[in-house]
Amino acid sequence: MSDDGFAVKLEGVTKRFGKHTAISDFDFEVPRGTICGLLGPNGSGKTTSIRMIMGILHPDEGRVSLFGSDPDVTRRTKVGYLPEERGLYKKMKVLELLTFLAEIRGVRRSEGRKRAGVWLERLGLTEWSDKRAEDLSKGMQQKVQFIGTVLHDPELLILDEPFSGLDPINQDVLEEIVRDYHAKGTTILFSTHLMHQAEKLCERVCLISNSKKVLDAELKELKAAERKGVVAVEFEGPDTWIRGPEVDHVEEVNGALHLILRDGADHQAILARGVQSEARILRFDLVEPTLHEIFVRHAGADAVGDAGMPVLAGASGT
Amino acid sequence: MWHNVWAVIRREYLQRVRSKWFIMVTLLAPIIMIAMIVIPTFIAARSDRSDRDLLIVDGSGVLYERLASDFEASGYTVAEEPWTVDVVTDLRQQASDGEIGGFLVLDDLTLETGEAVLYANERPSLIRRMTLRSAIASAALEYQLEQQGLDAGAMLAGGELRVEMLVDEGSDTDDPQFFVAYMGTMFLYMVILIYAVSVMRATLEEKTSRIVEVIVSSMKPWHLMLGKILGVGAVSLTQIAVWLSMGALAVGAGIPMLIAARPELANLDTVVAVLPGLWLLILFVGLFLFGFFMYSGLYAAVGAMCSTDEEAQQAQFPVMMFLIIPILFVLQAIQEPLTPLVTWLSLFPLFSPVLMWARVAGGGVPGWQIGLSFVLMGATVIGVAWLAGRIYKVGILMAGKKPSLPELWRWVREA
Repeated sequence: MSDDGFAVKLEGVTKRFGKHTAISDFDFEVPRGTICGLLGPNGSGKTTSIRMIMGILHPDEGRVSLFGSDPDVTRRTKVGYLPEERGLYKKMKVLELLTFLAEIRGVRRSEGRKRAGVWLERLGLTEWSDKRAEDLSKGMQQKVQFIGTVLHDPELLILDEPFSGLDPINQDVLEEIVRDYHAKGTTILFSTHLMHQAEKLCERVCLISNSKKVLDAELKELKAAERKGVVAVEFEGPDTWIRGPEVDHVEEVNGALHLILRDGADHQAILARGVQSEARILRFDLVEPTLHEIFVRHAGADAVGDAGMPVLAGASGT
Repeated sequence: MWHNVWAVIRREYLQRVRSKWFIMVTLLAPIIMIAMIVIPTFIAARSDRSDRDLLIVDGSGVLYERLASDFEASGYTVAEEPWTVDVVTDLRQQASDGEIGGFLVLDDLTLETGEAVLYANERPSLIRRMTLRSAIASAALEYQLEQQGLDAGAMLAGGELRVEMLVDEGSDTDDPQFFVAYMGTMFLYMVILIYAVSVMRATLEEKTSRIVEVIVSSMKPWHLMLGKILGVGAVSLTQIAVWLSMGALAVGAGIPMLIAARPELANLDTVVAVLPGLWLLILFVGLFLFGFFMYSGLYAAVGAMCSTDEEAQQAQFPVMMFLIIPILFVLQAIQEPLTPLVTWLSLFPLFSPVLMWARVAGGGVPGWQIGLSFVLMGATVIGVAWLAGRIYKVGILMAGKKPSLPELWRWVREA
């Protein structure tokens, strides 16, 4: 059985719920060993796609394969899956719950208990081992849930919105863990609507918007290709010179203004206008566009704004 | 994949058995039951002190001696009031003045028919009446037999009447058997319902808490359902086993000890005599298990297709009807277990647990009918497992509105 080096492969997948099309003609691949981000605003079809990969939903059209075959129980057991909507057995004690989750994925009880202990310590939850899940705060429950996802040492981690609901410190902790798994060779697919999070972690990104794929590429290549597109400027005085046919729109990022250029536009023209104006230019810099900017360029600011995505990269989600 | 099922059974079992609620119900229910039997007897024994001072007017002249020892053994203090023409009038006056609680009048008629008159201010309990009546009758009988030159003691002690019924017949409502049959059906109905509903609640909880998505990602829904049902089933068997053994302990050791310590509680023996035997207990457990497997499957499916408690409350109703309908026929089944209507109804698998018990405990059901009903229930268990498994598989991951019947049928076909 060959899996073509892909942990996950979607070919022409469409899924409808009644009249609503959740995802349409979606081609998507996750090469083994990569960290791949599935990005898009809320309601764009990320979770539906992930649930199809996990065999929870079945595509109306197209084919989903996991490790080169149908996503059956045997293959799903090799996946660590953190669903978007999280739940625990409320009345169960944390350590027992984790042991159980490991056990149903084939980890012996003693071994599961040991691993759970190690993880609880790593995430600072040791003193909560014997507490019931319902006594934990939301954030702690989420960490417990994450532990449950990785206890059986999965070959593939599928994390649906793993960062939402975590405070910045714990987001960093989770990020570090994801990097560790990546270093060990685990394939990671996660979905998020937080662009900066994806930007820090991903090797590959797939952007979807309004149920359609917008972009799918290596992050580095993507950024190199888009490099010409954004100019960061800082200046004193009038700002009329930054408006012009070359500029699609302007965004404020970390105190500087980012001019997002139209395709094929020349930044020299803007600079020339600036020099002639009365403004005093402090910085005129071609920058790597943020993922957010790339996304906006491709999907359009409307798509992003309407879907409730934060307009500024770096704003935290819910 | 069986380790999965085992893990689910284990979790379900331990979580439930360790809960305070389970421990409380399991231990308290039989204690309350026993208390409900013992305490009234006890209270009766205490509060009736005055009644226990039994004044006997013996017109026959031969019965008092025989009765006195009998009554004293049952906790009475007896005294003889000599026979005079006006004795009854006098004593009635005393009784209505509250000087004495009541008195017993025996005469020559008592010797012939066992008939006696108890004058009392308060109506004595059924058990007490029975105790007095049988003591008087046997004293009279003993006397008569001795007059005939027969060994009354041996005759009365060993003379057991074996009843060979030529026609099978049910129990009368006065019969102790009626009590067993009726209480048994109610108990069966309750435990089957309670545990089947637990399966539904557990399913619903997993669904609403969303943990099911994680669990089903690593095991087949069918295995999860099976594990749930077997786990809850094991819990119920544990509970019933505890109840039965506490009952056996109470009957085998507790009550005899109590009676030895407090002779006035001797009446409890009457209760013990009514209890079902081993064969009936085995039948009870068998009917419970088959009933539980049929209904828990159905209830699991109901839990899987609903998203909220309220929805489940409504959706469980059609299933519950199958448990309630046989209850309507219980009286008939106990009293006339062999009428065709009751026979056919009791063979319908979903009705069998309640009705078959009522008929068998009522008396006289042919063995092959019991056997057949178990075969039919077995087949139903398999059918329900197939059907419920399919509904469960689709429903457990489905959010939103409860499916309509056609949708449900589509789930079954497509699963």
